[in-house]
Amino acid sequence: MRDLVKQLLGRPDDDRRVRRATFRVARASAAQASATIFLILRRMRAPLIVLITIFAVGVLGLTLIPGQDADGGPLRLSFFDAFYVMSYTATTIGFGEIPVPFTYSQRMWVTVSIYLSVVGWAYAIGSLLALLQDRSFRSALALQHFSRKVSRLREPFLLIAGHGRTGELVGRSFDRLGRRCVVLDLDQERIDRLELGSYVSDVPGLAADARDAGHLAVAGLGHPCCEAVVALTNDEEANLTIVMAAALLRPELPVIARVTSRTIAERMQAFGSPSTVNAFDRFGDHLRLALRAPAAYQLKTWLESGPGAELPERGAPPATGRWVVFGYGRLGRELVTDLRAEGLEVTVVEVRPTDADGADVLVGDGSDPWVLAQADLDRAVGVVAGTDNDTTNLSLVAAARRSNPTVFVAVRQNRPANAPLFAAMEIDALLVPTEVVAHEVYAQLSTPLLWRFLREMPGLGEEWAERMVHRLTEVCGTRLQTLWKVRLTAREAPALGTWLVSGGATLGALLRSPEDRDEALHAVALVVLRQGIATLAPDEDFALRPGDEILFAGRAATRRALSTTLVVHGALEYVLTGRRVPSSWAWRKLSQNRRPSPDAAAGGSS
Amino acid sequence: MNLEKVVFGFFVVLAATLNFGFFIGDISDPDLHNPYELFAAVVVNLVATVLKFGDRTQIGAVHLATSLVADLQLIGATLLFGYATHVSSAGMDESWTASVVSLSGGALLANVVSVVLLVVETVSFHRD
Repeated sequence: MRDLVKQLLGRPDDDRRVRRATFRVARASAAQASATIFLILRRMRAPLIVLITIFAVGVLGLTLIPGQDADGGPLRLSFFDAFYVMSYTATTIGFGEIPVPFTYSQRMWVTVSIYLSVVGWAYAIGSLLALLQDRSFRSALALQHFSRKVSRLREPFLLIAGHGRTGELVGRSFDRLGRRCVVLDLDQERIDRLELGSYVSDVPGLAADARDAGHLAVAGLGHPCCEAVVALTNDEEANLTIVMAAALLRPELPVIARVTSRTIAERMQAFGSPSTVNAFDRFGDHLRLALRAPAAYQLKTWLESGPGAELPERGAPPATGRWVVFGYGRLGRELVTDLRAEGLEVTVVEVRPTDADGADVLVGDGSDPWVLAQADLDRAVGVVAGTDNDTTNLSLVAAARRSNPTVFVAVRQNRPANAPLFAAMEIDALLVPTEVVAHEVYAQLSTPLLWRFLREMPGLGEEWAERMVHRLTEVCGTRLQTLWKVRLTAREAPALGTWLVSGGATLGALLRSPEDRDEALHAVALVVLRQGIATLAPDEDFALRPGDEILFAGRAATRRALSTTLVVHGALEYVLTGRRVPSSWAWRKLSQNRRPSPDAAAGGSS
Repeated sequence: MNLEKVVFGFFVVLAATLNFGFFIGDISDPDLHNPYELFAAVVVNLVATVLKFGDRTQIGAVHLATSLVADLQLIGATLLFGYATHVSSAGMDESWTASVVSLSGGALLANVVSVVLLVVETVSFHRD
């Protein structure tokens, strides 16, 4: 008990320490930016002093040199006149000789000051323009602008480190959900693309090294609205550093990192529990799922692709037979392990002699016709073209199809530019590492309930998945509509309070149209989460309790209708009992007065 | 000896002495206050201000602030002077002179603070 109390008391202290540390880092980075501004000011000293001196000498000379007034009497220019003449002369405006025509001695002096002052102005303006072009000055300005934008964010945002292909996909799908993100990338060009790209919301971006904790802090790591950190850079070490910084400065934040090697993934696990996404590993898992349960795989890819996605075709991969895997790199290794775990026979074709854990190895170049003949493609049921060269992969697919038109092909696409070629080949299972990572990050962060659903769904079997796909297509058609979460709390569903407590609240009763209760709402409840326990695809008789979280899939109109039922007391009353209850205060008072007579109530509701 | 410090000290002290030179004398007697001295004070003050740009220390910030105050007061004084000689029908009479000189007196105070800061900085440097 005492330990518990200590733990509870200890927490805020820890939080404060963490927050302080983050602020310190952010301040250091901001100070770095202002240091550059000070440097600029220092560099402007010399031009400004030259300008002031030239002006002072010119003005002083004009006031000292005697002139003549219109009648030939002696006249000296006052300080104001001299300053006026110098100002318009130095800036090359040249109004002429004011207030009276100058004498020759005055004109000589003005000639000297013209040349002096033009040189002075050119020097000052030239230095100022050079400073504006200065790289360090511009990056300091960009940093200040960026940190101001981030600190003004007042809604939850995602911190994306690395805005390559994957980062862009993640940023875009979150933007479409109406969520905000902040982007860090080394490459200025990618940051410039943020402004060119058609993001709905304003996405603050900074071209800076995300390995620098100061840059992460400026990008909002210490911001109370930061909801998650995603490390998607191409550099494994950088991703590890980002995970470390996030775990040490904000231990409570969810972190997702892209990895390609298991060692880095294990090193990341040492820092809290970041979620790591290995594209090759995941593709192997997907392929296994596709082999074992095509419908479950179909459902998974459909839901992961996000709103608006077409229902993918259900593949029919061969469940028995021999597979040929070209390339035994990171992908090949994962796939061979997964395929063998499914009890399939595997032949590996690899240029370098390797030991493939007991699988048949054929050493040779996959594009060599002789090697292809040796691989015995016409008796294979599946082919994996997993080299890191798109041209090789495409020609391997073509060769495999020629010798065996019905063979199942799984191919890795390396460069986004080749996407149309792969699409034309009609590949059975296409691996695009960037997209696998992006979908995974999306599924984990967009709605944690969806992630829960996707993780537990394969365990329920193939038939269940087929039924689920059928139900979803009945409600949504072949395009995935919106997914949304409903929390049955007093805040989000105030109308449901007493009904939920009564215990007789069923899901089927709730899913009725508030316009016409005979019509069921076109929505599918994918999962209900109650105190950490998830119930997948609850049926109509499922009893709801206060505090339940439900993930629905359906059309946007259905979502609006359901939210009406959840919020408006009268709508819920109608949906449950068929009685129309007046919703305005005055009508409610009136109907309460009439309530004693049952006839009147019936009359009011008709 | 640091040449930058010499130049800096020179301008700060010169700004104060020129300012003092203009200020001294009967406040309402225009003959005792030479406009060239005011002009020199403005120019030297501006140069001193620019020299103080870009110092990030606390004392540097206060230095810059005092200089800006002195500039403001002196430029105000020259504006009044220009108005009195060119626009006002009375010309540089006693009351106008008094206004100009009292403004420069305010600037003198700011310059004195600046000199004190300079001395403090120097003394504390030697103690270290």
